[in-house]
Amino acid sequence: MDDTTMERPLREGERLVELDVRTQDVEINMGPQHPATHGVLRVLLRADGEILTGAQSHLGYLHRCAEKIGESVDWLQYLPYTDRYDYLSAMNNNLAYSLAVEKLLGIEVPERAQYIRVILAELNRICSHLVAVGTYGLDIGAFTPFFYALRERELLLDIFEKICGARLTYAFIRPGGLMNDAPAGWTDQVRAFTDLFERKWREYWDLLVDNKIFVERTANVGVISEEQAIAWGCTGPMLRGSGVDWDLRRDQPYLVYDRLDFEVVVGQGYRGTVGDCFDRNYVRMYEMLESNRIVRQCLEQMPEGEIQHPEVGLVLRPAPGEAYVGIENPRGELGHYLVSDGNKIARRLRVRGPSFSNLALAEHLLPGCMLADAAAIIGSVDIVVGETDR
Amino acid sequence: MASLQQPAAPANERSYWGNVWQAVKSTAVGLGITFRYLWSKPFTVQYPDEKLPTDDRYRGIHYLEQDLCIYCQACAKACPVDCISMDAKRHGKELEWNFFRVDYQKCMFCELCVYPCPKDCIHMGREYALVAEDRSEFVLELTTWQGLTEAQKVRVAEAEAKKAAKKAAKKAAAAAKEDKEGEEK
Amino acid sequence: MSALLPFAAAGNGLTDWLAGLFPAGVPFWILGLLGAVIAFALIMVFVSVLAMFSTWLERKVAGHIQVRYGPMRVGGWHGWAQAIADGVKLLIKEDIVLADADRALFKIAPCLVLGAALAAFVALPFGPNAIVADLDLGVFFILAVSSVTTLGVIMAGWGSNNKWSLYGAMREAAQVASYEIPLGLSLMMPVMYYGSLSLHRAGEMQADWFGLHWYVFSDSFWLAIPSFILFFTAALAETKRSPFDLPESESELVAGFHTEYSGIRFSFFFMEEYAAMYLMSAVGTAFWFGAWNFPGLELLAGSALYAPLAVTVFVVKSMILVFVMMWVRWTVPRIRIDQVMTMGYKYLTPLCLILVFLASVWEWAKAALTGA
Repeated sequence: MDDTTMERPLREGERLVELDVRTQDVEINMGPQHPATHGVLRVLLRADGEILTGAQSHLGYLHRCAEKIGESVDWLQYLPYTDRYDYLSAMNNNLAYSLAVEKLLGIEVPERAQYIRVILAELNRICSHLVAVGTYGLDIGAFTPFFYALRERELLLDIFEKICGARLTYAFIRPGGLMNDAPAGWTDQVRAFTDLFERKWREYWDLLVDNKIFVERTANVGVISEEQAIAWGCTGPMLRGSGVDWDLRRDQPYLVYDRLDFEVVVGQGYRGTVGDCFDRNYVRMYEMLESNRIVRQCLEQMPEGEIQHPEVGLVLRPAPGEAYVGIENPRGELGHYLVSDGNKIARRLRVRGPSFSNLALAEHLLPGCMLADAAAIIGSVDIVVGETDR
Repeated sequence: MASLQQPAAPANERSYWGNVWQAVKSTAVGLGITFRYLWSKPFTVQYPDEKLPTDDRYRGIHYLEQDLCIYCQACAKACPVDCISMDAKRHGKELEWNFFRVDYQKCMFCELCVYPCPKDCIHMGREYALVAEDRSEFVLELTTWQGLTEAQKVRVAEAEAKKAAKKAAKKAAAAAKEDKEGEEK
Repeated sequence: MSALLPFAAAGNGLTDWLAGLFPAGVPFWILGLLGAVIAFALIMVFVSVLAMFSTWLERKVAGHIQVRYGPMRVGGWHGWAQAIADGVKLLIKEDIVLADADRALFKIAPCLVLGAALAAFVALPFGPNAIVADLDLGVFFILAVSSVTTLGVIMAGWGSNNKWSLYGAMREAAQVASYEIPLGLSLMMPVMYYGSLSLHRAGEMQADWFGLHWYVFSDSFWLAIPSFILFFTAALAETKRSPFDLPESESELVAGFHTEYSGIRFSFFFMEEYAAMYLMSAVGTAFWFGAWNFPGLELLAGSALYAPLAVTVFVVKSMILVFVMMWVRWTVPRIRIDQVMTMGYKYLTPLCLILVFLASVWEWAKAALTGA
C-alpha cells in the first residue's frame, strides 16, 4: 500500500492541506458498492482524518471476458458485445470495431454511411458527456443537473430508437456499413435536437459549472500535468483537460472528419490550474457543443446513396492479417487490435480501453487530497467500469 | 458568464469580496433555474398507466410469421448467444412444428437474427416489458400453433394420398407391365 | 422529557393556564409535571405530522424541480399518503443493532437527537398565546438545546462501529461547533432591535402597521436582510442541510452517521432533521418575518378565530422558509469540509461581526435621537 503513496512537489496553484497533527491512519473501502464509484470499482483508501495518504484501486468486479468471447464468435456476432464494454457510448464502440474489421477486409463504406456514422458517433458523444457531466454533479453533491442532463439524453435516445430500434446497446454500425438507412423524418428530428441543445447547454453551465461551490470543489483539485498525462497514457478529455492538443478525429482522421470544421477543446485553467478536475469537466462541456456543430455540418453535407458495402455479407472471412484502429471515444482512444487467420472467427481480439488507462493515474492523484476530493477526482476521470474491467 | 463560444481568458481571479459576490450570484442564478422548473410540466410519464409509444423499428420481444418459416435455422445460427431453439418435423413441404423458443434470459436484442432470414419471417416487436416471477417464464414460445393445423392436415393427407395414388399407379403400371411381359412370354 | 420540567414550571404559558383550571393549593410540581406531559404530547404530535408533511413536500419539491412528479401512487392525489406508508414501513421493520456496535450508545443516540430537537420547541411561539413556556432567554435556549443533537450524532457515529459513520459524526461535530458562532451572532441584529431574546416578545413588537411592521420592513431593513441571509446560511449548516450536508453526504460517506440505522431508529434521525429545519425556520419567521402577524389579522382580535388563524399564519410562514431550504438543497452542490470551515470562520463570522458593529451603532443612534 505504501508504494502507491506518491511523494511529489506541489504544482502551482495546487493546495495540499497541512497536517499539524498526524494521527493513526485508517483504511477505508470505497466500494465496490459505493455511490461515487460509478459501478463496481473498489478503491482502498488510507486516510489520516479527512486527508488521504494513500489509495489503491482494485479492478475486475465486472470482468466478462469480452476479448475471449471475441475469439469464439463470428466477426459480426461480436458486434453486440462491443456495446457492452462502454455502455454509455455503444455507437462509438460499434464504430471502433467496425472500422477495425473493415481495415482487415480492406474496404471503405459508402459515403452516406460514413456521414450517418459520424452523426451517430457525435450524438452518442453528447449522450455520453451528458451522463458524465450529470453524474459528476452527483459526485459533487448537486442532484438536479443530473436530471436535466438525462432529459436531453432521453431525446437523443429517442433519435437512436428511431434509427436502430435500441436505446442503449445499439449494435447498429456494423462492418461494411450500417444495419439500416435513416428513416423518413429522422434528419429533421436530429436537426431539431441540435437547435434545442445549445439552449439547454447554457442551463447546465449556469446551474452547475458556473456555480461557485462547484468551482471551489473542482478547481485546483486533482491536477494532472501535461507530461504526467502523456506518460500515463491518458486519452480523451483527461488528456485534453491537461492542455495537450490531441484528438484522433483531427490528428488521425477517420471517416469524413477531415471534411468537417470543428475545434479541439483543450483545458486552459479557466477557473484554476490547467489539468484540474474543473478543466476535465470544462472540456466535456465544450466538446458537446463541438459535437453539435459537427452533427449540423454532417446533416448539410450528407449525400444520398447506399448505406452498405455491396461485397460485405453477414458472414465475414477477412484475409489473414492484422489491423489496429483507434478512434476517439467519448472517454479517449478506443482501439481494437484484430488478428485474422482467414477464418470466420477472429484469431485474436484485443481492446485498448480509455477508462482503464485513465483510471491508472487516478489513484495516484488521491494522496494529499481530502476524502471528498476522492469522489471529485474519480468522477472527473469519467470511468465506465464495464470498460475498465471488460 | 456562459457563452457558447469558448471563453478566451481564464477567469480565475479570486478576492474576498469577489468570492462572496460569486457565491451569492451563482447560487441566485441556480435558484432561478430550479424555481422555473418547479412550475413547469414534468418531463416524465406515470409509467404503468401511461406508456410512451415505441418506434416502428423498436427491438422488443420477437414475433414469428410461422406460416412463412421454413425451419432453416439461419436465425439460430446467427444468434451470438444461442438463445433461439426450434424443432419441427417435415412432412414433405409441410412443417409439423414442435416448438420455436427464444430464451430472453440470454437474448440481448441485437437484431442479428432478423437479417439472415431468407423468408423475412422473424421480426422484433414493440413489446418490451419482460416481467416474470420465475426464470422459466422468460423462455417464450413464438409459435402460434403446434403440430399440424387442420388445413395442413388436409394438405398433408392430400399430398400423401397423391403420393399413395402415384405409388399405386406406379405399382399398377409395373404390374401391368409384368402382366404384359408375362403374356408375351 | 424531564428536561422540560423546570422550564415549564418557570414559564407562564401552559402552566398558568393549567393553574387556572385547578383549585388553589395544588402543589406546583404537579402542575409542572402535568404541563410537561401535555406539552410533550402536543409537540410530539406536531413534529410527527410536520415530519410526515415535510418528507412528502421534500419529495414533491425535488421531483418537480427535477422535471419529474415525485410520489404519485399512495393515497390518490399526488401521493399524499406516501409519508404515512413510509412511516408505517419504518415502524414495522426489524430493529437491527449490529453485533459489533456499542449497544448502549447506538440505542441512546436517536432518542437523544430527537429529544433535543423536541425540547427546543418549548420556547417557540406559535401564536400570541400559543407558547409552552415564554422564556426570557427564548432564542438562547433554543440554540443551546438544539446543539445537543450533535452529541447524539457523535454517539450514533461512534456507536455504529463503521468508519463512514465515524467520519459523518466528526464532520458534524466540527461543523456545528463552527457554525454556532455565526448563527448566534447573526441573531444579535434582531435581538438588538427588539431588546429581548424572547421570540414571543419579538412577535408582539412586530404587530404595528396593520401587522406589517416586520423586522425586514422596519427602519433597520438594511441590517435585517444581510443578517437574515447570514442566519439562513448558518442555519442550513446547523441543520445539516445541503450544501452543508457533509455528515450524511451520500456520494462520499454512503449515508454518514446513520448508515447503520434502520427502522424506527432511522426515522428518529429523519424526524429530527425536519424538526430542526422547522425550528430554524420558525426562529427566522419570529425574528425577521413578523411571527404570527399578518395584515388584517388584528381585526379578528378577540374572536375565537384569532388564535387558530395566528397559529396558521406562523406555521405557513415557517413552512415557506422550510421550502426555501428544500429549494436550496436541490440546487447547489456540496461544500468540502475545509471549505465549510473557511466559510464559517473567514466569511460568515467576520461578516456577522461587521453587522453586529453596525447594528449596535444604529440602534444606539436611534435610541439617542428619539430620546428613549
